[in-house]
Amino acid sequence: MLPLALVFVWQTWGVITGNPRTPVPTRVVAAALQLIESGELPLAIVQSLGRVFAGFAIAALLAIPLGLAMGSFRRVERNVDPLVESFRPIAAIAILPLAILWLGTGTPAAVLIVAYAAFFPIVVNTVAGAKRISPTLLRAAATMGLNRFKVIRTVVVPGALPSIGVGLRIAMGVAWTAIVAAELAVGAKAGGGGSGGIGQMMFVFYAYSIELNRIVVCMIAVGLVALALDRLLRGGLRFFMPWMAR
Amino acid sequence: MSEAIKLRLENIGKRFDVAGAARTIAVQDFTLDVAQGEFLVIVGPSGCGKTTVLNMLAGLELPTTGTVSLNGRRITGPGPERGVMFQDYALFPWHTVWGNVEFGLRHGPAGDGLDAAARERRVRSHIDLVGLSGSEGKYPHQLSGGMRQRVALARLMANEPAVLLMDEPLAALDAQTRIILQEELLRIWGQDRPSAERRTVVFITHAIDEAVFLADRVAVMTTHPGRLKAVIDVPLPRPRDDATRAQSQFQALSQHIWGLIRDEAYRATVT
Repeated sequence: MLPLALVFVWQTWGVITGNPRTPVPTRVVAAALQLIESGELPLAIVQSLGRVFAGFAIAALLAIPLGLAMGSFRRVERNVDPLVESFRPIAAIAILPLAILWLGTGTPAAVLIVAYAAFFPIVVNTVAGAKRISPTLLRAAATMGLNRFKVIRTVVVPGALPSIGVGLRIAMGVAWTAIVAAELAVGAKAGGGGSGGIGQMMFVFYAYSIELNRIVVCMIAVGLVALALDRLLRGGLRFFMPWMAR
Repeated sequence: MSEAIKLRLENIGKRFDVAGAARTIAVQDFTLDVAQGEFLVIVGPSGCGKTTVLNMLAGLELPTTGTVSLNGRRITGPGPERGVMFQDYALFPWHTVWGNVEFGLRHGPAGDGLDAAARERRVRSHIDLVGLSGSEGKYPHQLSGGMRQRVALARLMANEPAVLLMDEPLAALDAQTRIILQEELLRIWGQDRPSAERRTVVFITHAIDEAVFLADRVAVMTTHPGRLKAVIDVPLPRPRDDATRAQSQFQALSQHIWGLIRDEAYRATVT
């Protein structure tokens, strides 16, 4: 009910002010249909998604084992935690200049930004999950004769899985945020002739053609894709954690 | 006791050094032998160190002084020949009933030499033994407290440890479920078999009637520091059942043990 009311208010306000450039729902829908029909929007989303998945996968492959090691061995945590915590406040976008200098304005730089951004939520949540496992479960496994590494594989990993899942969901959101920002910035650097993606597309609409309606289309697309990604991830996590179903 | 000594606790002491606080003496001068096939129950008021004694037998904690040994060999860590049943069940929430019972056989040395079919038979028979057939696919959160404790018992027995260490396994259950599981426990332990074929049990409880019902001997502990106050023989005949609880000897033993710890139990309620 509320969303409908908001759309109505938005439309009315746009019509009253009367500026033909003002984005209102009807114009946005028209722009969206246009962008979908021409294939520009689907292509941009696919390009961005590819980078998100690549960066996300790299982050998960690095962060989950590291987080498990940090959560299981105090020595590892003591040594690695200060490093992680001192990099974590450095926004992904802040490493963009280095990424562009090293990797250029193409896909690798964008993937690096995404991986960097997604890494921290996964590592922090994995550590928390590994440390929160009931000590009795660890003891139970030890009394059945399992060594330390087997305990990690059979108790710490499944026990930390719900928390890792939370980390992955946050990371997916962050990755998607990062890709749009990275592509916007890369677009600025590459002068509109860069490597595509939804952020780049927004940059072109902003800097060259000044099409507010199309920018709003991109914003909505970003939100919808994020929602779909989260639903997908949640479904996947539910599949891997049947015991969490209530 | 003419039977072979299985577990030996010799002059055990355990101190906990807490940073910034006075050190706590949890257990002091504790000496006790447990015979092969014996069902030994340790009772005592809360805080008397009975769980610490059990953890030292399990190898989860090491004594500060003295030695704990199994078959004459010193215990220095946990081992699959000493199975533990924990008060809070310690079931793996991500495994079904089947997966929990199978855990030690699949991941631990208890399953060495078992092929998949033999493992499956072993799990099947232990699920049947505790009366959980039909619930194999359920997760722990879908089970009642009594059923969870049955799963924990099946998991423990499936690993076939020589020694069963039980830390107040029935404490969290309601009174009726407790009485039923006490009898089940004796049946599964094999109370009608000769002691050479039985597993050795060390069982901890704060319930005196439970101790008398289950035990061959009851070790009574006192608190501050935890010491062994007395060891009481329970000559009630086996197999034991409901009728056992009605015997005058059962009542007399319970009263006697209560007399040994009443003062301390009383003090614990007012301090």
